[in-house]
Amino acid sequence: MAALSNKSDQEIKDLLDEYGIKHGPVVDTTRPLYEKKLKEAMAKAKVTVTKPSPDRTFYREDQEEVTYVTCQTPVRSEGPSGDGKPYMRSRPEYSERDRVDDKPYSRPEYSERNRVDDKPYSRPEYSEIDRVDDKPYSRPEYSEIDRVDDKPYSRSKLEYRERDRVDDKPYSRSKPEYRERDRVDDKLYSRSRPEYSSGRQYIDEPHVYNTPSSSSSYSKPTPVMKSGGVVKKENTTSSGRLIPLWIQFLVFLIVAGFLYFIFTNMESAESSPFNKIQ
Amino acid sequence: MSSTSQKHKEFVAEPMGEKPVNALAGIGEVLGKRLEEKGFDKAYVVLGQFLVLKKDEELFRDWLKDTCGANVKQQGDCYGCLREWCDSFL
Repeated sequence: MAALSNKSDQEIKDLLDEYGIKHGPVVDTTRPLYEKKLKEAMAKAKVTVTKPSPDRTFYREDQEEVTYVTCQTPVRSEGPSGDGKPYMRSRPEYSERDRVDDKPYSRPEYSERNRVDDKPYSRPEYSEIDRVDDKPYSRPEYSEIDRVDDKPYSRSKLEYRERDRVDDKPYSRSKPEYRERDRVDDKLYSRSRPEYSSGRQYIDEPHVYNTPSSSSSYSKPTPVMKSGGVVKKENTTSSGRLIPLWIQFLVFLIVAGFLYFIFTNMESAESSPFNKIQ
Repeated sequence: MSSTSQKHKEFVAEPMGEKPVNALAGIGEVLGKRLEEKGFDKAYVVLGQFLVLKKDEELFRDWLKDTCGANVKQQGDCYGCLREWCDSFL
């Protein structure tokens, strides 16, 4: 179709009628407006003809391999169960059995058997070993060894060895049971403790987020704090926290100590409150 | 129904005569200058355009947007002002 500006006024008018555009007379001042309208109408007509299918929603459950190239951590530690990348991996190596996940945020690859979880945020069941866990926020329970955990925030997963499960959770894994040996919990920050090898039963760090289950936990933080504090320092440097962890710890301790102080100073209830005053 | 501005009330109260283009509601200094550059130096010229567009709201809004870059509110104010003036005096 020839350029609209070359057409005569009458032709523009005919085109406007053809496209059903309401218009007035085509004069000098109105012509540019009508040309623009015609151009839009033509483009729209062309698009609707050629466009095959508008929105194809991909359901990831159906797809095995979808490559996302959004964010790839350069470090890929080939752990026992493969490496996991925080966000997405262009996962070429989805070759293992029933790997069904295709999630943008979690789990680059599940190399183990019947791994069906494909959730960015919470994985209900981990029962395998060598399961690559990929949860950004919380992992309900880890009971396996050789679980390579893969959290979006950073896993410099250099050292995923067998029996050395370094858990890497960005926010805190309420890890109630770390039973396996040398499970190094590297929560919150990237793993900066590469040399946690076997035999180190690392004490579960008292995060600020862990609610103390008993009063005994009040006493626990202080001794653990020393050992955890040192390690935590190296973590804090690589984390992106707004408030440093040690400050949070300190605040927590202060609050706990304050409560304890109150508790101990509470007067015990007298057995007989109505004592006669002599 | 949204209330009309003082400018609107003043414009529709009397025949526009030789009023400048920025007497129109919604047309301020910047837009007025742009319209004048395009040749619409008086309010009645804009009125002429409004009438040529057959007093159609959508066409007039589009034209105003293309000509001087008026936003939605300004377009609406100007259209309402001219329409009401026409209702009274045309």
